[in-house]
Amino acid sequence: MAEAPEAKYKFAFYLGCIAPNRYPGVESASIKAMKKLGVELVPLKGASCCPAPGAFGSIDLNVFYAMAARNLVLAEEMKMDIALVCNGCYKSIWEVNHKLKHNKDLRDNVNEVLKEIDKEYKGTINVYHTAELLYNDKFIGVQKVRDSVTNPLKGARVAVHYGCHLVKPHKDREFEKEVMLNTEHPTWMEELVAALGATPVEYRNKMQCCGAGGGVRGYDIVHSLDITNEKLINLKEAKADALTDICPFCQLQFDRGQIEIQEKFGVTYNLPVLHYAELLGLAQGMSPQDLGLDLHGISCEPFLQKVL
Amino acid sequence: MAEKKKTTKKTETKKQDVKKEAPVKQEAKKQAPAPAAKATAAPGATTRQEARIGVFICHCGTNIAGSMDIPAVEAYAKTLPNVAYVDNYKYMCSMPGQTVINKAIKDNKLTGVVVAACSPRLHEPTFRTATKEGGLNPFRFEMANIREQNSWVHMHDREGSTEKAKDAIRIAVAKAALLQDLFPKTVPVEKAAMVVGAGVAGMQAALDLAAAGIKTYLIESDMSIGGRMSQLDKTFPTLDCSQCILTPKMVDVGRSENIELMTWSEVDAVEGYIGNFDVTIRKKARGVLTPKEAEAKGIVGGGCNGCGDCEVVCPVVKPNDFEMGMKPRKAIYINHPQVVPLIYTIDFNSCIKCGLCVTACGPEKKAIDLEMKDEFVKVKVGTAILATGYDIFPIEKKEEWGYKRFENVITSLEFERLICASGPTGGHLVRPSDGETPKRVAFVLCAGSRDNTGVGKPYCSRFCCMYSLKHAHQIYEKIPGAQTYLMYMDIRSFGKMYEEFYYRIQDEGAKFVRGRVANILEDPVTKNLHVYTDDTLLDRPLDLEVDLVVLAAAVEPKADTNRTRKLFGVSCSMDGWLLEAHPKLNPCGTTTAGVFLAGVCQGPKDIPDTVASAEGAASAASIPIHKGEVELEPYFAMCIEEKCAGCGMCVNLCPYSALSLVEKEGRKVMQVTEAKCKGCGTCGGFCPGGAIWMNHFATPQVVAQIDAFLLGGEQ
Amino acid sequence: MARTKGYPEALEKKLRDQRYYREDSDPEFLKKVRGISRTVAHMCYQCGTCTGSCPSAPRSTYRIRKFMRRAVLGLENEALTDPDLWLCTTCYSCSDRCPRDILPTDVIMAMRNLAFKRDIVPVNFLKTVQAIYSSGHGVPNNDVNRAARERLGLTRDPPTTHMYPEYIKGIQKILDHYKLKANADRIVKEREG
Repeated sequence: MAEAPEAKYKFAFYLGCIAPNRYPGVESASIKAMKKLGVELVPLKGASCCPAPGAFGSIDLNVFYAMAARNLVLAEEMKMDIALVCNGCYKSIWEVNHKLKHNKDLRDNVNEVLKEIDKEYKGTINVYHTAELLYNDKFIGVQKVRDSVTNPLKGARVAVHYGCHLVKPHKDREFEKEVMLNTEHPTWMEELVAALGATPVEYRNKMQCCGAGGGVRGYDIVHSLDITNEKLINLKEAKADALTDICPFCQLQFDRGQIEIQEKFGVTYNLPVLHYAELLGLAQGMSPQDLGLDLHGISCEPFLQKVL
Repeated sequence: MAEKKKTTKKTETKKQDVKKEAPVKQEAKKQAPAPAAKATAAPGATTRQEARIGVFICHCGTNIAGSMDIPAVEAYAKTLPNVAYVDNYKYMCSMPGQTVINKAIKDNKLTGVVVAACSPRLHEPTFRTATKEGGLNPFRFEMANIREQNSWVHMHDREGSTEKAKDAIRIAVAKAALLQDLFPKTVPVEKAAMVVGAGVAGMQAALDLAAAGIKTYLIESDMSIGGRMSQLDKTFPTLDCSQCILTPKMVDVGRSENIELMTWSEVDAVEGYIGNFDVTIRKKARGVLTPKEAEAKGIVGGGCNGCGDCEVVCPVVKPNDFEMGMKPRKAIYINHPQVVPLIYTIDFNSCIKCGLCVTACGPEKKAIDLEMKDEFVKVKVGTAILATGYDIFPIEKKEEWGYKRFENVITSLEFERLICASGPTGGHLVRPSDGETPKRVAFVLCAGSRDNTGVGKPYCSRFCCMYSLKHAHQIYEKIPGAQTYLMYMDIRSFGKMYEEFYYRIQDEGAKFVRGRVANILEDPVTKNLHVYTDDTLLDRPLDLEVDLVVLAAAVEPKADTNRTRKLFGVSCSMDGWLLEAHPKLNPCGTTTAGVFLAGVCQGPKDIPDTVASAEGAASAASIPIHKGEVELEPYFAMCIEEKCAGCGMCVNLCPYSALSLVEKEGRKVMQVTEAKCKGCGTCGGFCPGGAIWMNHFATPQVVAQIDAFLLGGEQ
Repeated sequence: MARTKGYPEALEKKLRDQRYYREDSDPEFLKKVRGISRTVAHMCYQCGTCTGSCPSAPRSTYRIRKFMRRAVLGLENEALTDPDLWLCTTCYSCSDRCPRDILPTDVIMAMRNLAFKRDIVPVNFLKTVQAIYSSGHGVPNNDVNRAARERLGLTRDPPTTHMYPEYIKGIQKILDHYKLKANADRIVKEREG
């Protein structure tokens, strides 16, 4: 790999759907913030939906494997490991990569299909979530994140939503096993929040799902929002100024979901919801406009007033 | 495998042609190597006559006969060289079966016997006896395992198992034709025994041995005897106070003339074999002299009398492990008032050697020696019993239940100390967070047991159901208006009066929720706990708010089990507990003669089962001692002195230190201490000059087996 | 399998649920579920840890433990036609805590795969398929977002199939290989006309 002097690592940047098409600030903040930390994110040309693990996994796992493999092959052709910003994408891209690497039958099946489009899955690359790169000392580490902060988010109480698919199922997730140790009460994201100068806050049942996954958001929106609402009640009790996440789909559920909850249940929370990349961008001095925070469903203003 | 099968089949067809004349020819050939070896080595070898082998095929009911073609196997055996007689029987191990062998030996002038049946671990002794009763040396017997290694594993491959049985019998016959008479050695047995671990199992075993007139060394690594049972408040289902029924035994142990009690001591090394174990014991420096030790040092009337003056002045404060860390202790301490022996002990890891205790102890007693060092004591015993007990599984590893994260989630052993009158709260059950009396208490059963995730334990810990029922009872006894919930998968109340106890506790008001606890969350303000489960019988997810949660944590083998295992040469089963010789028929024995198991170190047991197991072990361990001598398997190695170059390489290889070099007729040769040799064959396999003869596993015998296997009976 | 003799049809229907092995149960069901899910579904001992962990359970009649039971007993029809099958959010809490080391979430996914083979599937899943077939994205770009991207210094369309539509062909080939698009179109048309 030819390396720019400041870029210690280069990754093919897998975008997914929701980040580039709904929260573009996540994309721009990731590229800029990671660059400051010595990681260059290179566009992964022609990538598609991961595909959505809930929708595709539910209908036909074979299609799920083949579609994810196509995205993996694009990065294999670039000879680069993948970095991504979404738990849902992690479930598809990381898990399919993991399964195909370890199961020849699956790999053969997938390659039979890929042959039709002149591609072959070889299993030559690894897949990482940017949160994993940020936390793991092997790549960046909390100290370097702390050192990169120019605008500490002092005085803000920030709660963490870990989401599900980066850390669970525990028994499969190598990263989680080696670095994070448990899925019942992890605190590594809180460390990353504290590194930005903000105060991480604990709240009841923080590992609970956002409610959007598995196609439930599309199948039964009220049921899905009811789960989100339970989390929002717990977050309100903890007096959080903002919620941070590492999954644009969770972000959508909490951010746009609050508007839907207001419509359907008549409850208002106005809790700003920011992807950790957006939070990191703010702490490194990017402006809310540069981050496209105005595109959020719930205004980030009250939170921004606290930290800027 | 495929390769081998082909050979077998091919040779079989060939054999059809040659079988008539083959035996005679082979006889001559096979006999050739034996006499040479015999002349130099085998001491008890008789003049070899023509080998006449009897083959006896066991059906084992349908265990064997159900999966293979016995008549085909029998017909095949008849074609084998040296085979003079073949028979089959439904149960070879039965009396009529043994009679078949006995009679056949006499009628057919057999020189060797092959029984094709189960594993030699089960019935080798049976058939050796039968062989002996038929008039042959018992070591003229060879077993072909066609059950454990054949019919049971190839249950659905009749053809394959039939062929495999033929192979096994052919191989066994090849060896049987070359077997020699062997004569076991007898060695005297030291009239003393050792018991390692002085919990209720070790104490009971030691008391039984002592009562049978056997000098017994009782070794305990802790400061006091009593073990886990002394930490318990009451015992199920009788609700006896644990200490009340245990302390008389502790006192008896302390008083018994035949028991030499060594607390704060560990086994450091074990050498020797049944009847003659040389054991080195490390007496850890306890910093305090017993009256006896003081007297030996010339301090008349001195030594520790348990007055406790030292403890008062000690400035170091540490958590007391006996109280599960819920009570403080000093650096010089006894961990509870009923310790036996009543001798204070210094924790040198935390002692600052300020000397205040020495002053407090005074010049008369002079009991404290801050410079004390570990001492080593050697004892000789005939048999040993391991009663090393168990640890509690570190239940914080099951993160979902929040132990060590939520103050009001405690373990059952902590509950025992909190409900016990001599415990840190004087028997008042309180919530650790605020000292309040809990009114709603949930018990989480199977906490870490019956768990296949690799985090917990796959086995049932066996006594948690019952003590949790007892805990519920104790709450109703002490806290009026309280409500208990037992979150369970199955209630296993299998013992005498146990189901009745279950009935009683349900009658007292305990609520049973049939659902394993998914997770527990803490209310950050009230520190109450929300227990999440599925009431599977109501089919309803449950969020149960309680004041206190008690986790019935699994038990696990002691952390130093592996060390114990290596010291005494015993094995572990898959789950890490020490392995018994046979789970049903020899539960106290081990694969090492003279070493026995008592109590939970062999697997989870409640107190009645532990005591029963201890009495069993004591009885088993006393047998060789009362007999006064034991027979050793004559499988030892022998040096063929003419061939020995005296290189001495085997001496260092021997894992049992059984070999040495000696001067004989002006040159060095190896010599075997037969009683120490286990016949492992390490030296015999290695010897570059082929100068070591392994009795019963001699090179010609093994080579004949290999030939029989590879050549399928061809020469 | 033997039918109770002499009962009228209505009573027969009522009594049907007493029997595990009825006409619509399939012993192959468990095997199929195990094959697709790659987990030891048959080892469930019904402890309830899964349902106790489930965020969907307290707010619905969805009981993952019941689906595990249906898998063990081969109650295919009962499992696949239960609309609760689609209420799993795939949070994997049950899978993390299952003491038998089963992945109940993947059992649900396997059952959904089997349901789809019988055209049992909520329409929203199919619409995602249709969206991806046409654009490569489940959540496609729009003009407001394009403007915002430009403002943030990003390309109007992300460098995915949006910017390089020539890649969509490959995706369509994959989906067509499994006839997924055709099936989705057919089912959506049947449901919505």
